[in-house]
Amino acid sequence: MNVFEYANPTTTKEAAGLLAAQWGEAEILAGGTDLLSLMKNYVATPKRVVSLRGIKELSGITSSASGLRIGAMVTLQELHDHKAVHDDYHSLAHAAGSVPSPQIRNLGTVGGDLCQRPRCWYFRNGFGLLAKDEKGQPLVPAGDNRYHAIFGHPGGSPGAYYVHPSSLAPALITFGARVKVAGPKGEREIPLASFFATPKREGERENVLMPNEIVTEIILAAASKGMLTATYEVRQKEALDWPLATASVALRMSGDKVKSARIVLGHVAPVPWPAHEAEKLLAGQTITEDSAAKAGEAAVRGAKALSGNKYKVQLARVAVKRALLEAAAHGKEGMQHG
Amino acid sequence: MHPEPPLIGQAVPRKEGRDKVTGRARYVDDLVFPGMMYGATVRSPVARGRIRAIHFDENIPWQEFTVVTAQDIPGENCVALILHDQPCLAAEIVNHPEEPVVLLGHPDKHLLEEARRAVRLETEPLPAVFTIEDSLAKKEIIWGEDNVFKSFLVEKGDVDSAWARAEIVVEGEYETGAQEQLYIEPNGMIAVANPDEGVTVWGSMQCPYYVHKALVPLFGLSKDKVRVIQAETGGGFGGKEEYPSMIAAHAALLAWKAGRPVKLIYDRAEDMAATTKRHPSRTRHRTGVTRDGKLVALEIDFVIDGGAYCTLSPVVLSRGTIHAAGPYECPNVRIRSRAVATNAPPHGAFRGFGAPQSVFALERHFDQVAKACGLAPDEFRRRNFVHAGGTLAVSQVIHENVDLPQLMERAFAESDYHAKRARFARENRDARVKKGIGFAAFLHGAGFTGSGEEYLASVVAVEATAEGRVRVLAASTEIGQGANTVFTQIAADTLGLDPELIDIAPPDTAAVPNSGPTVASRTTMIVGKLVESAALGLKQTLVSSGLPGERGGPEGRPCTSEEFQRACAEYIRKHGALRATCQYAPPPGIKWDDEKYQGDAYGAYAWAVYVAEVSVDTVTYEIRVDDFVAVQEVGKVIHPVLATGQIEGGVAQGIGYALYENVVWREGRMVNAQMTNYIMPTSADVPPIRVFFEENPYPFGPGGAKGIGELPMDGPAPAIVNAIEQATGASITRIPVTPEVLMEALEGVHA
Repeated sequence: MNVFEYANPTTTKEAAGLLAAQWGEAEILAGGTDLLSLMKNYVATPKRVVSLRGIKELSGITSSASGLRIGAMVTLQELHDHKAVHDDYHSLAHAAGSVPSPQIRNLGTVGGDLCQRPRCWYFRNGFGLLAKDEKGQPLVPAGDNRYHAIFGHPGGSPGAYYVHPSSLAPALITFGARVKVAGPKGEREIPLASFFATPKREGERENVLMPNEIVTEIILAAASKGMLTATYEVRQKEALDWPLATASVALRMSGDKVKSARIVLGHVAPVPWPAHEAEKLLAGQTITEDSAAKAGEAAVRGAKALSGNKYKVQLARVAVKRALLEAAAHGKEGMQHG
Repeated sequence: MHPEPPLIGQAVPRKEGRDKVTGRARYVDDLVFPGMMYGATVRSPVARGRIRAIHFDENIPWQEFTVVTAQDIPGENCVALILHDQPCLAAEIVNHPEEPVVLLGHPDKHLLEEARRAVRLETEPLPAVFTIEDSLAKKEIIWGEDNVFKSFLVEKGDVDSAWARAEIVVEGEYETGAQEQLYIEPNGMIAVANPDEGVTVWGSMQCPYYVHKALVPLFGLSKDKVRVIQAETGGGFGGKEEYPSMIAAHAALLAWKAGRPVKLIYDRAEDMAATTKRHPSRTRHRTGVTRDGKLVALEIDFVIDGGAYCTLSPVVLSRGTIHAAGPYECPNVRIRSRAVATNAPPHGAFRGFGAPQSVFALERHFDQVAKACGLAPDEFRRRNFVHAGGTLAVSQVIHENVDLPQLMERAFAESDYHAKRARFARENRDARVKKGIGFAAFLHGAGFTGSGEEYLASVVAVEATAEGRVRVLAASTEIGQGANTVFTQIAADTLGLDPELIDIAPPDTAAVPNSGPTVASRTTMIVGKLVESAALGLKQTLVSSGLPGERGGPEGRPCTSEEFQRACAEYIRKHGALRATCQYAPPPGIKWDDEKYQGDAYGAYAWAVYVAEVSVDTVTYEIRVDDFVAVQEVGKVIHPVLATGQIEGGVAQGIGYALYENVVWREGRMVNAQMTNYIMPTSADVPPIRVFFEENPYPFGPGGAKGIGELPMDGPAPAIVNAIEQATGASITRIPVTPEVLMEALEGVHA
């Protein structure tokens, strides 16, 4: 780890003022579960680390008639344990609770989950987000790419092949979450679906934040009655690892028929990946083994496997199917209880 | 707490447990010396090449740094072990990625990383070899005349003429990957070194006298000018057997040049990428059997990848070779084995030491042979198990009263094997998540192979103070496995003393005799026996000089601690020091032929049958181990909690070896040297491990004990992959079985 200055501001405004206009000069410390390892591996070498822990306005979850406001410094465990989240945003609570381990859930924050850096081997070994060789050729398609993207990559050309590591983003996007960010020029609100971006050149990051902006809160509209949701994650091991593929689904129902569906995949593309074809296919359908399987098929129709990750296409397909069946099963439980 | 004697067989508190729990234990990184500098290592970026130049970026104030290259080595530039082929710092040629070339020292450790990155090695690339097959094919000669570090040939009976009598012949090829030891505490050393005082190092290690042996020629010093002291050590698993010599050498070279103490601690990534891992292997089997499943001929070709230098590969190969035919009796056997060079960092010692590789191949293969005979896997083994009086592949006659069918029955009863196997076969037809149960039967020899223990000629001393405290002096290290506790139990029982009166001297080559390395499942069985004998010698001295009564106490009762203390004080007043030593002598009748590789390979074996139950999601390829039963015969269990812990830990490590732990190589470099990419099982991935011991005391072990440290590493991988075969029908021949491997295999099955 390099030597750095540590700043402990108490307001968001002060914090934004301590950040730099260039990426890499200063880094934000929330829970630290990602930043510390980046710094220990010299992938991040900031001159200043700005802690958000002293900023009270970033903590807490507020529930109101218009929905939920989740402070960026809310921990994953707090999110998981919150009654309104548990009752009305089931797939989000599940996603937060599935992040291993308890230590990470107790330190890791909602803002940190959205802004954590990719787990890509090339990135973590110092080859950059776009992982190119000296001649500008992409390393990932020719190299080991078992954990890389099956969607949204340029297939053999230079560009992004990593997968976005956020655990919460797929579920949040199915709820239409918005994210509030603060910077030197004040605050702005962005739909979370447009928050993530694929960098065009090395040095850019994987979201639309400016280097001196801070995520301050997540805003969720009030949950609609009878919405069925689920998150399904496929993992190689049970703890201390990121999933290989995730699907979050949110179904607005009309009786036992789907009125509209939101389906977002995680860990398959440089951004959380919406499965629009599958969403369309489900409108007006009941959720059965068959319709769920067809939605899974539709969700991976555009997938482009690399040399070593064909298996992920299968995992993504299955994750969508199982998430839909789980959501439908919640619906049945709900009716029995009601 | 005062446990009643005998202590052997009881779970007494760990000797160093309180210090570890309270944080009083001092690991090497806890030690701070006045004026200390920190060290860093500049390593080769290429697999093989000629060093043209070393460039130092001019933006670094190099005058503040101590810079060491091969030219600064006062003695011979090698890490002395079996051969002297591995340089301490590469001088002209680098032979693997991460090979050390330049050392940097600075009082501020935060400045070292930037400086390390500012040293650039200019190399002219040379052709390199990365696989066992390319090395065997001599695609490029990278070591010696033929890339072969060592080969063995074991012959029993006449294999060539036996094929004619075989009614069924089954062939197979099996592969195992590298595995990282992942001790909790990474490697590290501190050195004080100068021409006047010589060299002293403190650090994390298993084998103080190996480090000592390496430092003597490196500095060209006499043996008494080199001193090695073990700091508290947070795990080893073999990973701190040979590489600590390299780190100690580097710290000492920096200290020698700087004239100041130097601390050199690896972080996790450096430790994973640069230090030793388990040897990858490839095994070919050709097995001839009669129609009713009796073994007629076994032909085994076993090859391990040793990496760029010889290090311990010959010894790893030896153990792997001897274990390759398992606990079975076959009249005609040929085992040919080779350790070959590749341009990867040298592979090295890791719990099991060659046996997990060859046992995986055999126990997977025997499930295939059973199938070819139309026999259940257990019935095939039952018909071929070695019995007391029988002979193993190396023609060792088994004098132990071994009962493998009984171990297997117990393992099956505890795991409900037969009922589950039948039920899974029935239910799997319609299930998406399919279940399987499988097992492996195996043995593991304790102590050094063949004549190894005779050559080592280990020594232990036991001494008493005038206050009646007893000190055990041995170079055997406590690395988390409980050596100090076990030695205390043995000494306390032998002397009839309260364990609180027993001290274990810290391993320090200036103060303790060489009881050999802490490896090879030898510490309890071999060194423990020396502790027992030395303690007995001490007691006899006291008795002969007046310690009251026969067996040390009046009226046949054991003497009290007070009587013992009085006798010690009395003896020391009259005669001076009170000390007894004992040197290893082989048990009677042990014979080993190093040329033919035949005879009594090990004084004793631990025997085991492990059963694994798995479930496999045939759509997502997720594999879970649901239950694990480990039944073993280990002589006498000295400490039930520590012994159970050894087995549980070994099984967990075996689950990692079988399913998760995948070292990804790119031109000889480990590219996933991070714990987020190198997947190891956590407590959430490990099922209940149910451990059962059968006790059959071994007359030449302390209290009847045999060695067990490595045993549990051998069985889990084949048991798990055999279970996966029952679940899915996929006959997988290589580990780790990651989801990708399983997908390929299942697509093969369905196609």
